[in-house]
Amino acid sequence: MSILDRIADGWRKYRKPGYYDEFDYHWGMTVDLDRCTGCEACVTACQSENNLPIVGEKAFAEGREVKWIRIERYWEGEFPDVKLRFIPMLCQHCDSAPCETVCPVSATYHNQDGLNTQVYNRCIGTRSCAVYCPYEVRYFNFYDHHWDSPLDQQLNPDVTVREKGVMEKCTFCIQRIRQAKDVAKDDGRRRVRDGEVQPACVQTCPTQALVFGDRKDPESQVSKLMNNPRTYRVLDELNTDSSVVYLKKVEDDHA
Amino acid sequence: MPNIDRRDFIKLVGAGSVGVGAGFMLRETIKHPTEQLIPHVIAPEDFSTGIATWYNTVCSMCAAGCGISVRTREGRAKKIEGNPSHPVSQGRLCALGQAGLQVLYNPDRLTGPLMQTGQRGSGSFAQVTWQEGLDKVADRLELLTAENQGNRIGLLSQGVRGHLAQLFELFADQLGSERLLHYDFDHPHTLYAANHRFFGEARLPYYDLKNTRYLLSFGADYLGNWISPVHHSLGFGHSRQGRSDVRGRFVQIEPRMSMSGAAADEWISAKPGTEGILALGLAHRIVSEGHYSGVDRDDWTTALSGYTTDQVAEQTGVGADTIRRIADTFVHTEPSLAIGGGSAANHSNGVDTLVAVNALNYLVANIGKPGGLVFNPEPAGPASQDRQASYRTMLELAEDAKQGNIEILILNGTNPVFSLPSAGFEEALAEIPLIVSLSSFMDETTALADIILPSHTYLESWGDDFPEPGVGFSIGSVSQPVVSPLYNTRATGDIVLQLAKQAGLSDAIPWSSMKDFIKDGWRLIYDRGGLDTQKESFESFWRSILKAGVWGEKTHRDPAFTLDKRVINSIAVPPPEFSGSSDAYPFILHPYVSTTLHDGHAANLPWMQELPDPMTSVVYGSWVEINPATAGQMNLKEGDLVDIESPHGQIRAPVYVYPAIMPGVIAMPIGQGHVTYGRYANRGVNPIEILSPRVDQRTGALASSATRVKIKATGRRIELVKTGGNSRELGREIVQTTGGKASQGHSAKLNSIPITVVPT
Repeated sequence: MSILDRIADGWRKYRKPGYYDEFDYHWGMTVDLDRCTGCEACVTACQSENNLPIVGEKAFAEGREVKWIRIERYWEGEFPDVKLRFIPMLCQHCDSAPCETVCPVSATYHNQDGLNTQVYNRCIGTRSCAVYCPYEVRYFNFYDHHWDSPLDQQLNPDVTVREKGVMEKCTFCIQRIRQAKDVAKDDGRRRVRDGEVQPACVQTCPTQALVFGDRKDPESQVSKLMNNPRTYRVLDELNTDSSVVYLKKVEDDHA
Repeated sequence: MPNIDRRDFIKLVGAGSVGVGAGFMLRETIKHPTEQLIPHVIAPEDFSTGIATWYNTVCSMCAAGCGISVRTREGRAKKIEGNPSHPVSQGRLCALGQAGLQVLYNPDRLTGPLMQTGQRGSGSFAQVTWQEGLDKVADRLELLTAENQGNRIGLLSQGVRGHLAQLFELFADQLGSERLLHYDFDHPHTLYAANHRFFGEARLPYYDLKNTRYLLSFGADYLGNWISPVHHSLGFGHSRQGRSDVRGRFVQIEPRMSMSGAAADEWISAKPGTEGILALGLAHRIVSEGHYSGVDRDDWTTALSGYTTDQVAEQTGVGADTIRRIADTFVHTEPSLAIGGGSAANHSNGVDTLVAVNALNYLVANIGKPGGLVFNPEPAGPASQDRQASYRTMLELAEDAKQGNIEILILNGTNPVFSLPSAGFEEALAEIPLIVSLSSFMDETTALADIILPSHTYLESWGDDFPEPGVGFSIGSVSQPVVSPLYNTRATGDIVLQLAKQAGLSDAIPWSSMKDFIKDGWRLIYDRGGLDTQKESFESFWRSILKAGVWGEKTHRDPAFTLDKRVINSIAVPPPEFSGSSDAYPFILHPYVSTTLHDGHAANLPWMQELPDPMTSVVYGSWVEINPATAGQMNLKEGDLVDIESPHGQIRAPVYVYPAIMPGVIAMPIGQGHVTYGRYANRGVNPIEILSPRVDQRTGALASSATRVKIKATGRRIELVKTGGNSRELGREIVQTTGGKASQGHSAKLNSIPITVVPT
């Protein structure tokens, strides 16, 4: 077997659905659109937890804002029969992630928990991943952002502050997952309990639209919700095999 | 070149085993002074490097009183989350609550006492010591009290509850002043008054959204900023998908779709100010169809005779079929609930509208039942008078000041110069010889103060809160400092206590700190018993409250209540009145409290400025929402700058074409338009400036939705700063729905496009 064949073989194995099933955890999230009110508590919680920069009005106008989770809004119909539908959009942690195959330096890869991770130190800023991502949830640091003192005192010491030239995105709050695993290990437990770890967005969601957990645990809340008949994946036809599963909004006609 | 002599040079060269030379030398001499990596040799209690400490306290970002847990690391606050044990927030929190950290660490905070040196409003302040500042105020207070002129002292605070409210009462009482007022722009005066009229008590009941099956909301943006949004959101989520047998349905009635309108199953736009008429139309249908069988049925029939479905349809612009359908669903779905507030309550007929909404609850007999309206027991905390000043009361205060009846005004965290329309409040302030502000920030009113004694933020202070409304039973929470004070500021309570002491009132107000005052207050709650408090000592009771962040008494109120016949006989909603003729001013202005910036006090938080407005996604600015058809007729596009003119003023803002607003109504968010509030806040325009002074007739509350305006294109345009992307799905099926009409338009999904797959 030539070296090229071996690499190709490795890739095939890695890209095959079910590859991650043999590992300990397979984190996933469900988003119930029938509960979501678009209040954006998740957006601010994420900003607070993950040291997201305040980009300023000018950079925002250039479309260079950084929001690892955002609320998208879509109008349907015209006045007076008009609706506004919200959908929280964050990294879908695809098991067949288009962004992973394209990174020339493997700065983004899939870890053994089913997380699509970003290694800031490896990133050379080609922005190819952002181009390949169909969900538009990767954010590039076009600037070195700063925090007017003493706002910097709020920065979370568990999370790196990224600098100019680096791509970043939702991590499912990997620092919280690591900590939960450590706590479980210290307690002599093999596994993290369901609900023990919640990303900042899930933790704060006032309507409990967001649920996070281990898809490998059939008893976890997230596994149960994934069996709900309302589930769908956004842009499912692209076969990204995403870890974020949405529950359809219920719109019954007037009774 | 750094200042070193030959000996230092040799030392440096000798010290460096590798980098001998000028580069090394430079590096050594210009490097930062040595800092301690580990700040403490003997760490304070609760402090271990690398491990987070959580403190339970109370959120003060709005009046809901959510319990919060603050995560601190190495003595700094890092993250705010809801306190899971607190019945109001139950571990959840809104965006504004999360952003409380930026109040604490705001770069524009006042860092110490200041005294105005130039003319008022010149912005020239000099730093003074606390002693200087306090002396100057206390001397005046003492003098006025000694001369029995205490009533010439005005105390104007933001809405405060619990023991801080009691301290202000005590202080004012001892000074001999009756001018103690709270002022918040969005205080629901009309709701209190309507409840007083209908239920006989001016309090807020608990609205059990969680267990309701059908909610009619008349203008109340209960998911955005009405009363207790986090708690309402919890209830909403549960009502929608938390029960296996039923999914709650929500109907929102308002002229401009709010966040709650978007979340609702049905959004109905009644003509502005006719929401109460619609409520009585529904009531008429319920009674006339024989769905109400109470003993006072005949009274209702008589009282509602003028509200037949056809008449109401004519007056409100809501179809007769819709009225019948909603009334029938409301009465046949048990339990159902009606709430009212927001724009529906901010008209000249505000109280009557909300009385009509209460009537709907009465007619379906949901009072005291799960999923209905539940009366709250007396709050466990200190009883204090409702001090909230209506617009009319504030005008009286301004008039008093102009007459020279106010010698000294002490402001605490309220900003009437920003949030009081056409009251001449600034001119009134000019007549007051001494203005003192206890604000943490240079808001527009504080900028006019002579002496500023800046307060701690809520994350640095002791306090307590007894949420209003409660959650059907009585709860209290203590708030504690989570970090050491950042600056040379003091807690509001401590400032008041110190002023009292220096003004010679220490006999009646002997406490030396707010913490002692609160602790003494909680001793009363402890002594009163309830639960198993007597089994433990007070100290352990106190510690357990600090740890849990909340304490509750499971006492429920008797839901029995008899409606006064006179209320039924007098039930009526007059048509709303507007300022400005409809010919000269064709549009009704619908100003709404911003979801992100609230009434403007959150405008200095960069996270909130950069948080897209939930409905429009606009950040960092003001805008005016116009119906698409109207905009088309006027040839206006997004970003076109228009002048919005009312009989009381004119402001300029860019157009946002808003699909869910009635023609004839234009909407603007309140919150922007600050001028002194700091680097993040000073932008946009303030629609309060052009509101008419019209009030609700019964309470004197500002009828903020009762101003007519005209708009004029300026020919100029700007680019609105908002998130990118198309606001329509264009068949992408990103938000999928079930159970209703299929999404309009064709599908543009990849798998619906015929493609040829090459077999491998």
